[in-house]
Amino acid sequence: MPASAFARLDAARKELSAQAARGEAGRIALERFSGRVDELIQQLFEDAPRSSSAVAVFALGGYGRRHLCLHSDVDVLVLFGGPIGGTDEQFLRGLLHPLWDQGLDVSHQIRELDDFARLDTSNPTFLPALGDARPVAGSSALFDRVAAFLDATEPRAFIVESLSRLIDERHASFNDTRYQLEPNVKDAPGALRDLTALRTIARVTEPALLDRLPAGRASLEEAEDFLLRIRSILHLDARRNQNVLDHEMQEKVAQVFRYPGATPRQRVERLMSEYFRHARSVSRALEWTRRMAPMPVGRNLVRSRDGVRFVDPAEARTRPESWLHVFQAALDSGSPVADEAIGLIQDHVNRYVAEDFYPAAGDRAALLAFLKPRPGLYARLSEMHDCGLLGGMFPEFAAISCRVVRDFYHKYTVDEHTLLAIRNLERLATPSTPSREHFAALLADLRAPELLVLALLFHDVGKWRDEEHASESVRMARQVLERLRLPAADCELVEFLIEHHLRMSVSAFRRDTEDPEIVRQFAELVGIEERLKMLCLMTLVDVDAVSPETLTPWREELLWRLYVDTYNHLTLGYGDDVIDRTQTGLSELMTRRPSHLSESAIRQFVEGLPRRYLRLFTPEAVYQHVQLARDIQPDHVHAALEQKGPTWEVTVVTLDKPFLFSNICGVLSSLGMDILRGQAMTNPNGLVLDHFEFADRERFLELNADGRAHFLRALEAVVSGERDVTARLRAREQSVLYHRTGIPRFPPVIHCDNHSSRRYTILDIIANDAVGLLHRISRVISHHGCEVDLVLIGTEGEKAIDVFHITAKGAKLTDTEQMELTADLTRMLEGNDEVDQGHRATQ
Amino acid sequence: MKLIKAIVRPNKVDEVKEALGKLSISGMTVTEVRGHGKQKGHTAVYRGKEYNVSLLPKMEIEVVVSDGIVDETIRAIIQAARTGEIGDGRVFVIPVEHAYRIRTGEKEAI
Repeated sequence: MPASAFARLDAARKELSAQAARGEAGRIALERFSGRVDELIQQLFEDAPRSSSAVAVFALGGYGRRHLCLHSDVDVLVLFGGPIGGTDEQFLRGLLHPLWDQGLDVSHQIRELDDFARLDTSNPTFLPALGDARPVAGSSALFDRVAAFLDATEPRAFIVESLSRLIDERHASFNDTRYQLEPNVKDAPGALRDLTALRTIARVTEPALLDRLPAGRASLEEAEDFLLRIRSILHLDARRNQNVLDHEMQEKVAQVFRYPGATPRQRVERLMSEYFRHARSVSRALEWTRRMAPMPVGRNLVRSRDGVRFVDPAEARTRPESWLHVFQAALDSGSPVADEAIGLIQDHVNRYVAEDFYPAAGDRAALLAFLKPRPGLYARLSEMHDCGLLGGMFPEFAAISCRVVRDFYHKYTVDEHTLLAIRNLERLATPSTPSREHFAALLADLRAPELLVLALLFHDVGKWRDEEHASESVRMARQVLERLRLPAADCELVEFLIEHHLRMSVSAFRRDTEDPEIVRQFAELVGIEERLKMLCLMTLVDVDAVSPETLTPWREELLWRLYVDTYNHLTLGYGDDVIDRTQTGLSELMTRRPSHLSESAIRQFVEGLPRRYLRLFTPEAVYQHVQLARDIQPDHVHAALEQKGPTWEVTVVTLDKPFLFSNICGVLSSLGMDILRGQAMTNPNGLVLDHFEFADRERFLELNADGRAHFLRALEAVVSGERDVTARLRAREQSVLYHRTGIPRFPPVIHCDNHSSRRYTILDIIANDAVGLLHRISRVISHHGCEVDLVLIGTEGEKAIDVFHITAKGAKLTDTEQMELTADLTRMLEGNDEVDQGHRATQ
Repeated sequence: MKLIKAIVRPNKVDEVKEALGKLSISGMTVTEVRGHGKQKGHTAVYRGKEYNVSLLPKMEIEVVVSDGIVDETIRAIIQAARTGEIGDGRVFVIPVEHAYRIRTGEKEAI
């Protein structure tokens, strides 16, 4: 390393010190000094040993902006094109050590290009600093790659969001006022960092903003030069990175700047009034920029004050499949869609047919995701309807546009009634009355609430003609569902809801709901709880959208009572209704069966199972279950594990034995699986079918190549008795990660019922969801010598809601048995496991 | 003239209205009410939690009829609203002293 390079740096320092002492070390002087540091780094880069892959050095932060003061940190990023190898240490020593030796405060980051493959959101300061990145030495191709990364929507949005948060935090630390008597010229509101922040926000959102600043660009440059000249004096005087303009330094700076005045105090007043003038203009410019900056919110999309709009209208015009994204982005950010975007869609929507708006599977999935009920959906759907996009996507909906149907009840056109029903649904997110909270809980519990919105959207489209509309609505909706290529089960659900959308209001308001037969008939119609919940919500929001007066609290109560009675019928009494030879739907099951399954195998499997089994599972699933049951032997476990979107489903077929359900649940929990929903059923031959939907929050199955095999082996080992799952689970429960405090957040509810079913005692348990909860509950039940024949498993937020159909020695539990079981369950759920341990010793 | 106040099951309102219509009684007031008589409601359970449903939804129908058709009206209401089960409701007959037409202030003949 030639000594001349260091000598040049020394000379540059002396020059900068002299300029600072004269009050002239502003922008130009600092740029020159930064240039000298660049030259030194370039020289060191040339002289350093070769690196194992392409490498580049970037200046970041103040150095990147060429604002290096005498004692500023020199922020550099050393970026390697490939993995960093052992020899690269030599390169880094050659580059960095001489800089430290020269007394520069170098802050360095060493990264590989692969680090930029995905957005790292863990460090909120790095990306904004990278916004000032400037190549100093090395591969220019690497800089291009970083620039391309920064050009993408996600990092740009992250930079603006992080920066906004950092600004707010920094300002809060100064009590949100720029009028500081001893201001920090770097960090205070209105000081240098604010200036940098507003430039960064403009650069990553809309660079032209800087030309439109109300106070003009020149005023900012003047403020910057002023603040930098002060900062240079502070560094020179303190001989360190000192940025507070305290009273003593104010006198010195005022003197250096030669402010007129007979006394130091008069000169300081001139200095500080100048300072506050500049701080004010910087603060205002920052506020204006933050307000005006169009935030990148998706490909070709930004959000600005007037809403979400397209960046490049020409591109948007030719990509109708991207139009939904503008509404999705508006929904996500709680803003409207800008008029110009709505105008663009309105002008061009007629050039396209329905399929053009969702040509690919991804577009169709995005459309469904958009329909998830949440605040803002009605407003966005209304905008889509107004500009013709909703009708373009769904010509079926266009058929009821502004359609007037005269009756005694409806106050709005059919299309608006439909959209208002969806608004009522989204409003359940923030229930207006305690009674609405019941319904809100149902909505939160739905597996696919977007299908309910889809059903609502088309429930009245048949009103385009004057005759009975429900069946016409179904016919038209079927066309939509075919275009959306939804799974058959989802199509069937949507069609069911549309076809029967008036049934629940008829039963609740016009039939005697005190009559068990009415409830039974209605339960027969809906079949399973999910459909009941959806139909109940559909009825609520549909009736409420007729007019503000239609859904009185009185009617709401009638609806809720019918829901409760039907829910109880479905969940408590279903064990009495079992499949027999006369069961409807069996012949269809036989006709469609695959050739390798005999009719008798199917009959043997399904007969004696509750009738709801056929409502819960598609024929394909039934065939899979029959297949799993083939040649099953005691202690054998036949299981099928499937990933379904974000969750997993496992179906287990085995032969009944004591503690079976508890052990199966235990295996799931011991592997960290969170059981969300499930069913357990037993047929008269002792064949057990357990079906669980669970979340693998620790990603055990995803991260371990043999995770599935391990899971299935564990099931077999535990069911056969080779392995004890309780001890294993106890270790997990006591792990610091899952440790239960023993104090439930709400008292558990345990309810025994001997009336709802002819065959079973029904045990309803509501408790805080916890690791291994089902295992512990069912273990206590088994300890009491009870048979667990049927189980319904559900969760509602933090609540676990489980319904067990149990018997003891083939009969319902006596009052004494119920009391003993309830007492033990209560003790266990309240965090005292002694009962369980005591029983284990005697097991 | 009598005010007849009938508390009936919600699903029986249409039948009662129809029966009254056949007697050419057209003016009536229908109100959604909650209450209990001897029936006193019952205990319902939802998800393991019991709650007392003491006030049941009912409909109240009020008609004012001349003395001559009171019995006939009561019979019509009972026939239409009766199921035979507990909770069918009540009919009350209340004498009416005067009636005024709000639009004109005229006192109506009783």
